[in-house]
Amino acid sequence: MIKKILIANRAEVVSRIARTCQKMGVKTVGIYSEADKDSPYLSSVDETVCVGPSNPTESYLNIQAIIDAANKTGADAVHPGYGFLSERGIFAKAVTDSGMSWIGPQPEILLAISSKCYMRQLAVEVGAEVTPGTLNPVKSPEEVVSFGEAYGWPVFLKLDKGGGGKGIEKVTSPSKVAEVLDRTTSIGKAAFGSGDCYIETVVLNPRHIEVQFIADKAGNVVCLGERECSIQRRHQKIIEEALSPVVTPADREILFANTKAIIKKLGYTGAGTIECLRTQKGKYYFMELNARLQVEHPVSEFITGQDIVQRQIEIASGAELDVTQNDINFMGHSIEARIYAEDPETFYPSPGTINKVTLPKIGKNLRVDHNLSDGCVVPPFYDPMLAKVISWAEDRPKAVAYLIQALKEFEIEGVKTNIPINLRILEHRKFFDRSMDTGFIDNYLS
Amino acid sequence: MEKIVTAIMPGLCARVVVSEGDKVAKGQEVAVINCMKTEISVNSEYDGIVKSVVSKEWDELQVGDPMVLLTVDNNG
Repeated sequence: MIKKILIANRAEVVSRIARTCQKMGVKTVGIYSEADKDSPYLSSVDETVCVGPSNPTESYLNIQAIIDAANKTGADAVHPGYGFLSERGIFAKAVTDSGMSWIGPQPEILLAISSKCYMRQLAVEVGAEVTPGTLNPVKSPEEVVSFGEAYGWPVFLKLDKGGGGKGIEKVTSPSKVAEVLDRTTSIGKAAFGSGDCYIETVVLNPRHIEVQFIADKAGNVVCLGERECSIQRRHQKIIEEALSPVVTPADREILFANTKAIIKKLGYTGAGTIECLRTQKGKYYFMELNARLQVEHPVSEFITGQDIVQRQIEIASGAELDVTQNDINFMGHSIEARIYAEDPETFYPSPGTINKVTLPKIGKNLRVDHNLSDGCVVPPFYDPMLAKVISWAEDRPKAVAYLIQALKEFEIEGVKTNIPINLRILEHRKFFDRSMDTGFIDNYLS
Repeated sequence: MEKIVTAIMPGLCARVVVSEGDKVAKGQEVAVINCMKTEISVNSEYDGIVKSVVSKEWDELQVGDPMVLLTVDNNG
């Protein structure tokens, strides 16, 4: 059994993971960069180690420094959280090579699935539909031109190894192909070590639907429902909810079956998410596998009563799941709003010092995961997310009402936040009507 | 005379897009700052010639830190 976990991350997710560790009697080690030396999350762990300067490439992305910190503190496992090194096969391998447990899927699976074409082929092999496009990297500009002529313009060129919203370029006409292909290839070589691109058709204003699953080494896969994350800006999710108000029981059956087939075929162990697009006509296309804990996992925890971090730790310890799909009942509705340090007018980032914070009242209907305290510093070097506010109620309108109430109670002084935008979304008729898609912010709030 | 293009936001230097000796126009992007994972353009307030590039990728920046030095004609 795992006794001491180093959490290779920063901010709210560290406190989130530490909370479950404490419940399980597992010790925790937190890491920090010089910019985070007084950050609130460090008070949630048992020990802390500085892993380097503010620049994330020298601290939170510094594999050697993190492995050294784990060795020094006697950690026997590493939880990577989300972002940073969470899906890097070479980090996972460095952890297991050092004799520690990696709380995530096997390193060789992380390495393989970093290729989007590999995952598209695998999805097709098990009978899941993928966004129309190529299953292999394109070999010439002519191939892109003939695809566009056949399927219509524009098309997307996507980097096989891209991620984090980077490496997705739209090609509007045949005359632009060579230029965009060149640019995308060089971005890929510089940022991801591979310039390979494949083609996808552009799906107009889809909805973003994703299935949360947990899988053990015996091949048991249990789906913890789907989440809808259609409210996004620049590929960044803002509001997420579970279950999706648009997915029917028949759709859900297919989504779960596809998820289980993909995960079993991979032999994947751990928690993860299958992301899909839902077209306006109600078709679901497999998009990608997120091989880690996700920011929006709390909404799934609220509706299933499961602790996903606890499941991750149990699976990494080699335990088999003691729940089956039949044990999972979906109760009520849960919605999450992400709080970002950004100017609600200009969407510019807003780093600085938080003078005073007033948190909403938490309870059985409300959870707040955050990295805030009076006087804390929000450094300009990392992700702008400060907190997540998650509500639960018997039905969607009540869950929305609780969330609106909580956001009105939430006061953050010193930096600007997107709370006013969140309120506009939640109070919008289109959101109430459940008819949102990924174009929501541009179409209704700009 | 010499003018300095400075950081308009705190963060990390993502890149400087001009080189020593380049001619730049007022309003032209000369550098990019990564603030909380958002890229922000830093534009020249002057017409001039790049005398030297001060910032490099991953440098930590505070508002007002010099990024690029320009040589500007008379009143700039």
